[in-house]
Amino acid sequence: MNSGSSQSRLRSVASTLAVALTLTLAAAAGCDSRQEPELSSVQEKMRETHIYGQSKLRIGVATNEPLMGELRNGQHVGFDVEIAKYIAASLGYEGDQRLEFVPVATEERIPALQGGTVDLVVSSFSITEERKKVVSFAGPYFVTTQEVMVPTRLRGKISTIEDLRNPDYKICTSGGSTSEAELGGHQVKVLVVKTVGDCVAGIRAGRYDAVSSDETILAGFLARHPKEFEIVDMPFGTSELLGIGVPIGDPALRDLVAFFLQKSYQQGRDEQASPWQTSYNRTLGPWLKAEKRQPQPLEVPKLVDFDDKAPAK
Amino acid sequence: MSAATTAAGGDGPVPPPRSPVPDTAAGPTIDGTGPASPAGVDGVDWPAGVPVAEPVEPIVADVEPGRVRWDPAERRARASQSFWTAAVGVPAIFSVLRLGVEAGGELQTTLLLVANVGPVNLLAGFLTTAARLLSTGLVAVFALGAVLAVSADRLPPGTRRRPLFARWADITPAWVVLASFLLALITWPLLYLPLLLPAFVAAFQLRSARLHERVVPRLLIIVALLAGYGWLMLPTLREAVQQGGEELVLALIVVPPLLALFIAGPLPGVVIRPLASVTEVAVLATLIWAAVPVISTPVLPLTVTTVGEENGPTEDVRGHVVTTDDVNMVILQEQGGVRYVPVGLVRAQVLCPSEEELPRHQLRIHDFHVEDSLLEGMGRRVRPVHRIDATCRTPG
Repeated sequence: MNSGSSQSRLRSVASTLAVALTLTLAAAAGCDSRQEPELSSVQEKMRETHIYGQSKLRIGVATNEPLMGELRNGQHVGFDVEIAKYIAASLGYEGDQRLEFVPVATEERIPALQGGTVDLVVSSFSITEERKKVVSFAGPYFVTTQEVMVPTRLRGKISTIEDLRNPDYKICTSGGSTSEAELGGHQVKVLVVKTVGDCVAGIRAGRYDAVSSDETILAGFLARHPKEFEIVDMPFGTSELLGIGVPIGDPALRDLVAFFLQKSYQQGRDEQASPWQTSYNRTLGPWLKAEKRQPQPLEVPKLVDFDDKAPAK
Repeated sequence: MSAATTAAGGDGPVPPPRSPVPDTAAGPTIDGTGPASPAGVDGVDWPAGVPVAEPVEPIVADVEPGRVRWDPAERRARASQSFWTAAVGVPAIFSVLRLGVEAGGELQTTLLLVANVGPVNLLAGFLTTAARLLSTGLVAVFALGAVLAVSADRLPPGTRRRPLFARWADITPAWVVLASFLLALITWPLLYLPLLLPAFVAAFQLRSARLHERVVPRLLIIVALLAGYGWLMLPTLREAVQQGGEELVLALIVVPPLLALFIAGPLPGVVIRPLASVTEVAVLATLIWAAVPVISTPVLPLTVTTVGEENGPTEDVRGHVVTTDDVNMVILQEQGGVRYVPVGLVRAQVLCPSEEELPRHQLRIHDFHVEDSLLEGMGRRVRPVHRIDATCRTPG
């Protein structure tokens, strides 16, 4: 009897505790359901950017780099342009009414961002420590290497860095480019002109024998003159990471751009057709020798978005 | 119906099967043996086929002799009447109140909405957003009511009036209780569903003793049930631990099934009265607190309408489309005010999510997001890809 009584008392104390705990948990759950998400949302980031409320988004692109950024019949075309369109659409700027492409030359990219004439730059902009001091980068969205392009008449004759050192060949490259520094590092004497286009024109006129530049730019010129040139795979050590330039004072916009690049990256990884892959296949894909995939963007913030609840599979 | 009776524990066809108490309640309180009588505890087991009201009647008469004696049948009829009045009236009133809030408190806008939103749409819209709140209220009342009812015999002498929730639980048919739990099961976010477990056990007074009469098989069954639950939740728990800072999620998943083992009661006499009063106030406060977002949830879907002349500049109007006729599209703007947009100028329109739908946790239970209800989770499986139109991101 006594043990039964103490057992029942124990039981009733346990019940009390259980009821109290359940109520506490329920209350905690109720409070939790009314809380704001801990992570900031895409929408919140949008409000922090300088473009929020802006009727048009201005993106700086190149107009003279075939396959990357080119002005053809008044239309901006190329891989960079496609990426820019994807980012703009993700930010809520779709169509000619809302998106304006601003032509920027290579040397104007940083001043255009600093001066506020463009909101973003998508123009074969390689991410370097030096540039990171004045602009922010989201990306990389492309990894490229240095290559050499030779006219078909020299096919097989220039195939190694050793061949480039041969004083009989005049090697051309554009000023201020990574190629210039890279070739200098290999003791290759180069003739420096303003743009890669000048080099290509020079080779066609017989003034130079080879041009060294970024493989994407070279692929662009190869696409323009497919019968006259050939790209030679050279073992240059450096690879360049192309990023999207964002004004340094707008970290929220940088985060958003990185977030949308990451979204495309994940889609591609899940074997879906990602915006990146579509852009690549439509522009660079057929002209590059090696198959490329979207590189993983760096420093991507975790953001909450409306489609987070969608099933993963 | 028969299923409901079985679930209610019906060891017999007693009309209010979920009120095991009165027969035991009468004994100790009348002969003054006090609340903690073990006899009362043992007697709690489950009702013998004793009619409910019979023994209770003398108590009521004893305490409040001036009051009209109630007849159980009449009382049930009255209760059913008030139930249906509440079931129809509350949503109706709420829906109309919501229109006023939706209109931004403007009389003319409210009238415009009243003129254009059909009563069926309104009610359906209300139920979509309020089902969760409604089921929460009902589940809380029935679970607490059943626990209080089973403990009521331990009330200190002199306070013989049974707690409100206990009386409600007594007069509610088992199928209503079961229906509330089903509603909760499909509308609550998955994360909170474990809480339904102790609530269900409490409401239907499912003691572990009912699993098996012998102790060892009983323990084995409990361990097997818990293991099954653990298997279901383990990946989510692991993920929550990895993410860190999700203590509440861990507690919500791990603790409730353990509580379910002990929650059925009875409670000691001293805590019944305070618990009854506190929970009555708490449930009422919670309902009011939770009703505010329900009232302010929009009735009409949020859209962004692109307006502009052909080839001219366009403008995005963010708001809820009230109605469209041959001439105008009437848009209740998100920032307030009504806009009449000529139909010819409408270039495009997209449906947008609202920011309240953003998830707070990044956890899934077997690919179901923890903040989705079962219904929502299944819906996402039917239409898995949900693209947010980027137009929704720009301010209207």
